[in-house]
Amino acid sequence: MSYFIRRSQPRITITFSSFLYKLVGNLSQSDPIIPSPTLFSCRHLSHSIPFFSSRNGYSHGLSPIRVRFWASQPAAAEPSTSDGLTVQQILANNWPILDENDSDWKSHAMAIAQSIHLIKRRLQWKKLKVRLDMLSAQLNKEDLWDDPVLAGKINREHGSLLGKMKEVNGLEEELLEHIEMIKLAREENDAELELESMKALLNMRRNAKEKELEALLADEQDSCSCYIEVQAGAGGTESMDWAAMIMEMYKLWAQRRGYKVTVMEEMRGEIAGIKRATIKVDGEFAFGYAKAEIGVHRLVRISPFDSNKRRHTSFAAVAVIPNLGEASSRVQINESDLRIERFRSSGAGGQHANTTESAVKITHIPTGVTATCQNERSQHQNKASAMAVLQSRLNQLEMARQAQLNAQHTQSFTDITWGSQIRSYVLHPYRMVKDLRTNYEVSDPDSVLQGDLDGFIMSYLSASLDKTEDDA
Amino acid sequence: MKLTLTNHTFSTLLNSSLINLRRPFCSSSLSSSPSTSFKPKVPIFLRPPIYSTKLSDLKKWHNWAKNIASSIGSSFVQSDNGPDSTILCRELKWFIEDVVEDHHSVFSHMGVKDNDENERVKMRADIDELYCLWKQRIEDRKPFQYIVGCEHWKDLVLSVQEGVLIPRPETELIVELVSDVLSKNDDLKRGVWADLGTGSGALAIGIGRILGNGGKVIASDLSPVAVAVAAYNVQRYCLQDKIEIREGSWFEPLKDMEGKLAGLVSNPPYIPSNDISGLQAEVGKHEPRVALDGGIDGMNALLHLCDGADLLLKSGGFFAFETNGEKQCRELVDYMKSNRSASLCDLEILADFAGIQRFVIGFHR
Repeated sequence: MSYFIRRSQPRITITFSSFLYKLVGNLSQSDPIIPSPTLFSCRHLSHSIPFFSSRNGYSHGLSPIRVRFWASQPAAAEPSTSDGLTVQQILANNWPILDENDSDWKSHAMAIAQSIHLIKRRLQWKKLKVRLDMLSAQLNKEDLWDDPVLAGKINREHGSLLGKMKEVNGLEEELLEHIEMIKLAREENDAELELESMKALLNMRRNAKEKELEALLADEQDSCSCYIEVQAGAGGTESMDWAAMIMEMYKLWAQRRGYKVTVMEEMRGEIAGIKRATIKVDGEFAFGYAKAEIGVHRLVRISPFDSNKRRHTSFAAVAVIPNLGEASSRVQINESDLRIERFRSSGAGGQHANTTESAVKITHIPTGVTATCQNERSQHQNKASAMAVLQSRLNQLEMARQAQLNAQHTQSFTDITWGSQIRSYVLHPYRMVKDLRTNYEVSDPDSVLQGDLDGFIMSYLSASLDKTEDDA
Repeated sequence: MKLTLTNHTFSTLLNSSLINLRRPFCSSSLSSSPSTSFKPKVPIFLRPPIYSTKLSDLKKWHNWAKNIASSIGSSFVQSDNGPDSTILCRELKWFIEDVVEDHHSVFSHMGVKDNDENERVKMRADIDELYCLWKQRIEDRKPFQYIVGCEHWKDLVLSVQEGVLIPRPETELIVELVSDVLSKNDDLKRGVWADLGTGSGALAIGIGRILGNGGKVIASDLSPVAVAVAAYNVQRYCLQDKIEIREGSWFEPLKDMEGKLAGLVSNPPYIPSNDISGLQAEVGKHEPRVALDGGIDGMNALLHLCDGADLLLKSGGFFAFETNGEKQCRELVDYMKSNRSASLCDLEILADFAGIQRFVIGFHR
């Protein structure tokens, strides 16, 4: 009996022993050749291992087993293992996800299933299926090629969507194959095969996680560097201290991620903390992650600035702006629209003064948007940096304006501005940090304030996928 | 910067130039042959990172330095409009940037408590030197630019050291003014310009970089230290073919240029002698007095420059001078207008970014 290994080109024909035949139980159809099915853009993970490289790990002359799957017929039944396990069921089982180092196949399988689930949500899976059916129907029409331009367009979209669908289905199929192999290895008491299969599953888990991240950060600007601004709320020194704590949290977070942090401007409070500050965070996907932090952050604690040791609530607002870089500057800035102010110490100036302070503030008169930079070593550099911030702010403003025009995006428009309260940090009477958007919570505020934010960021990013899906 | 003379000879010279105001070439007894003996200091950021220090020792120094910087508060501001803690802390950060080879990773470790005690960093100066230098910064009020040996000015990083005036941000505007003029006049773009009392060479280099093919700058300074430092900076920006440094007082080394200059710029000493003692410590105690003291009313050098401009600029040539403020600007303009030949025209007074009338510009008829 011969089988085709799915999607392999050239197709490999191999012979399975009879027990495998029983196991697989079904003959699969080979795929028609379709346009190359790369779907998730690989911009940021060029180093990642090709998805199916884990398949090379098998010894024994046994190639992975084909499970029931009809890629060219997306509407057909879900793929499953010989004992009927599907990816949906794995998800529903809610197996606990353990550390990667724990060799537990259920944990790996659950992690992979979740990644696949998220990728599907990102693709708006149901919508994608409907669209694909529609396109297939159009392709089957006899008069299709009467309009070659339209036909070409339909054909391309169909190919692209089919490719995406096949890749995800391929993931599901691969997961089930690995599970099948592990079960088989156990049945046969083949420790070596089990070890190999477990390795392959772990590899897949890592790759799927990367794919998941790519899916989460697939917006046009996600890969950009960004500016993070923190502004103290009302409440004087206590709030300014909170703003400084928040800013410190982002600096530490950025450092953990290996991003480069540059302080662009900082207005210090009279007694403690900051009134406002802007940092530049350079690194891939800085904006994609940091955008999850936009909004108002609330702190409850016994104020160290209150001699009566009373509990205070403070607020700090966080804004995050993508730095699109010069190449993609969207808004043309006229030099004549700018008012450029240079900070100076009072006095006669010129040869009288020696100062390393050379802050520059630029105001874009038509919009009133301003940008300040004070941390560079010359006025020239401060001006250049302030211009870059101004450009980013104006770009952001323009995008917001266009988004407003475009009803589809009005939802995200409110997210771009300072926004509403997103997270609560309670240091007293109990200790907890809770995200009000996702209900994700952590009982150790210190670790969060030390920059351990990724849990919050990831849960928000995947929750916003749900929202997109609901909207769709 | 401009002159290396004792105060005594300096005032004698000033007196003679006061008397001989109408004489463009105030002859000096000093030799004008460039001195080759003086070797400029290499700024810290350009030194090789040959020192290896334990990260924990660097952190210890950093904490110490930060603490003294913070302890200053606003006391320098109150005493003589000097730097406050915020500025000093920022300078400390730049100091580390210049000293430590891989400062990005060091900065990210600064706040972290538990990293490897034996981790080492490569530095461009010995840790003991760092203690010594920062002490000089705070206790002696030595300008930060002298500590690190450089000043970031426009898009340039210029080497500076004791004996050379640290270029001021206000002066950047002169290069912009010249740039405006050049954009409208190709002839001036290809001509010979002069920067008198060039100091670190800032103006000469700023202008040298915007001149066209054939354009050239002659930069003069009386101080051998300034001449050496300016030459070093010119070399760093590979402008040896465009900029010629000549040692000597004002126009003295430019006798061959009579009526030939396309442009003339200068930031001469303009502070009235009586104001010198009240200057901010960084300036008064450390910068060369000859680069600051402009005589009783601060106008000595400026008036001398006017006479020189009259003689050396060619027809249509441009000049720009920096002054102490509104009063000097007006006096200078009046002086030019009252000149017999009235050769300087289209006179304009321009303010600096702080709104202080700082520059006098114009053209030769």
